[in-house]
Amino acid sequence: MSLSGAEAQETVLTQSEEARGGLVRDAFRRLRRSPQAIVGATLVLLFVLVAVFAPLLAPYSPTAQDLSQVRPGQFPGPSAEHLLGLDQLGRDELSRIIYGARYSLIIGVVSVTIGATVGMALGLLAGAFGGWVDGLVMRAADIMLAVPSLLLAIGIAALLGRSITSVMIAIGVVNIPVFARLLRGAMLSQRESDYALASRSLGVTKGRVVLKHVFPNSLAPVIVQATLALATAITEAAGLAFLGLGSPDPSIPEWGRMLAETNAYLASEPLLALWPGLAIVISVLGFYLLGEALREALDPKLRR
Amino acid sequence: MRNLRRQGVVALGLAGLLVGTAACGGDSGTNDDGASGSDEGGGDTLVFGASADPVSLDPAYVSDGESLRAARQIYETLVTTEAGGTDIVEGLATKWEADEAGTAWTFTLRDGVTFHDGTEFDAEAVCFNFDRWYNFEGVQQSPSVSYYWQTVFTGFANNEDPEQGESLYASCEATDATTAVINLTGPSASFLPGLALAAFSIASPTALEEFGADEVTGTGEEPRFDGAYGLEEAVGTGPYTLESFEPGNRLVMTAYEDYWGDAPAIETIIFRPIADGPARRQALEAGEIQGYDLVDPADYEALEGAGYQLLSRPAFNVGYVGINTAKPPLDNPQIRQAIAHALNREALVQAQYPEGSEVATQFMPPELFGHADDVTEYEYDVEKAKALIAESGVANPTIEFWYPTGVSRPYMPNPEANFQAFQADLEAAGFTVTPQSAPWNPDYLDAVNTGAAGLYLLGWTGDFGDPDNFIGTFFRTDQPSWGTIPQEIQDQLEAGRTETDEAARTALYEDANRAIMEQLPGVPYVHTSPRLVFAENVVGYEPSPVSIEDFARVSFSD
Repeated sequence: MSLSGAEAQETVLTQSEEARGGLVRDAFRRLRRSPQAIVGATLVLLFVLVAVFAPLLAPYSPTAQDLSQVRPGQFPGPSAEHLLGLDQLGRDELSRIIYGARYSLIIGVVSVTIGATVGMALGLLAGAFGGWVDGLVMRAADIMLAVPSLLLAIGIAALLGRSITSVMIAIGVVNIPVFARLLRGAMLSQRESDYALASRSLGVTKGRVVLKHVFPNSLAPVIVQATLALATAITEAAGLAFLGLGSPDPSIPEWGRMLAETNAYLASEPLLALWPGLAIVISVLGFYLLGEALREALDPKLRR
Repeated sequence: MRNLRRQGVVALGLAGLLVGTAACGGDSGTNDDGASGSDEGGGDTLVFGASADPVSLDPAYVSDGESLRAARQIYETLVTTEAGGTDIVEGLATKWEADEAGTAWTFTLRDGVTFHDGTEFDAEAVCFNFDRWYNFEGVQQSPSVSYYWQTVFTGFANNEDPEQGESLYASCEATDATTAVINLTGPSASFLPGLALAAFSIASPTALEEFGADEVTGTGEEPRFDGAYGLEEAVGTGPYTLESFEPGNRLVMTAYEDYWGDAPAIETIIFRPIADGPARRQALEAGEIQGYDLVDPADYEALEGAGYQLLSRPAFNVGYVGINTAKPPLDNPQIRQAIAHALNREALVQAQYPEGSEVATQFMPPELFGHADDVTEYEYDVEKAKALIAESGVANPTIEFWYPTGVSRPYMPNPEANFQAFQADLEAAGFTVTPQSAPWNPDYLDAVNTGAAGLYLLGWTGDFGDPDNFIGTFFRTDQPSWGTIPQEIQDQLEAGRTETDEAARTALYEDANRAIMEQLPGVPYVHTSPRLVFAENVVGYEPSPVSIEDFARVSFSD
């Protein structure tokens, strides 16, 4: 009894499809059981909801000032009308924090998308072709990774001028080598795996193996990395804004900038520094917890 | 990085506590009559927190506050101002008079004054200094290097820039040891008050020559002082002598034994550069320093509550929104008026400036003669602003509005806050505001001075008590930052500068202020009184509107 070439190929394919489906199902099951994942997902969901529905949630406009409420170094603290108090220009702090989530989310998502898309394209090239393409892409990635990420982001943002777009590009670029290396590494190990070798020996073209089998099976670490990169992107965006590299419009309620502004009032109004700080910590923590839980859930070695 | 910094602060704080405790121990024996300050143990030291190092200790080359503060202690000028005011009183000269034409000024000099190097102070020394400044060449003639000479005396013996005006200074004669006659090329009302500037400190001719004070290379933007004078040496007649100067660390000055006046009460004065405002406050609270200048208004209450003394310097400045009147749509007078009516200056001054600050109606403080009470005022009125925009015929006016980052000035403690308040005001009136920002020095100042900025935040602190130092400096000559200033205003200001009759000058400057506020090349919004802070036991420091402040009169109480 011998299987024809085509039948054999079908079988291998079905097995690898099944394996993937199984992995995803398993991962979900494990995520649901992990308290870390649940906390992380809740925080991320909260963050996204706040960002999306900011206009509905915020009690006031984030830029509406009431100078008559403030005196130098003295701003009304939390009250029934203003739950988190007023800032140095008499603006509602809660509304600014809520709108700030939008900027963090947009900057995070766009920059990680830039980094992941370009990085994955390069990683795919390197992983698929190997040889001098691999060498070229990986050396370029090494050079970029040799520069501390925040320093690289500052350099790029300074070069592009002050705007939110340049912050997104800067953080995106910093992420490119990370994704490129990650995908390429995963693909290399998948390329040598049994199912890939089996497909090749059965006559499936190299391109088809790479695109249909190796690439999808190498995505797990990329998904994990993207979640973690979102957390880093939010911190880096805040860092750049703190250093004065965000939008030139200071009235934009960006968390990092809000933190920088309160620096002068740290002694008299410490709460004003606490709120944006807390917002950054909570959103970053959400993505970290979720990312770490995903990493564990998607790790085939932990599969039972 | 942030962690490291915090540890650093804690370490500094601890070190400060130790030093503070040691200093307190040494202070306990101070004489309270303040006559002869040096007591046993040599603990009689005051440490002052400066915001930066002096650029040079040769006052002829500097124009920044920290350099001038140091120069004030080491050097003296022919005339000075009364403590806490702007009236001219005797300094190294005890008497002065001008001839009828106002061009020959005879100064009678104080007798028995010696420089720190032991050489005699006399008329020859005075003339030596004036001739030195007059004969500046090369980089020395750059506006950033000899700023104050050019402010008061305009030009040099050999002007290297053909655009530079003729020098006001003609010559100096030492008729005898205590009589110096300074000849001018024309009358000038700002000559005498100008002489109180620390830039016209009389330095020891011997030391100036010996230590290469005139060896300046580099460029106007980045001058290099190659001689030892100004860094290792600084020899004047003042109450303190230079002990040591370590840039980035400390400037140490000790009392001059042979000082002609009352001996200083405190033996040693140390200026420590601490660039960061919050760090200065921490240093004070840690006992590391006993005082600092330009306290953040946000810290007033907390510091006062903690028992520190806050000393208020009389308001002698102006904060304004500058307008480049050559840049559309700002060339349209109705647009400028709309801007003036749109800005809620009262609200901003109340929210961001310390008590005692005033809303400005014109470009100079009310204390100064020539301030007109009846200038055109532009009250806060959004509807009027909207109507003016409609009348102007400019549809949807868009304005580039500039603000500086990384800076705090007495007239602008928090530029970003001012910007945001005014931005919201302008948008409420129907303007579209494009925010533009740049680091204060050099990018922001360049953008303003080259006329690139349309609307911008800026201000000015007066150097001496004369209107020419305010509106004269701003509008007497063409400057790209203001766009086009009508010739009649420039002529009025030039007339004010050369007029010697006080009443006539007052009238000229009042007229000029009216004309300027009619033309509206900017919206002045605040005169503020900046504050210094000192530890509870520091007495005798007298803040001056023009920052002529003398540590020799300061002592410690018990």
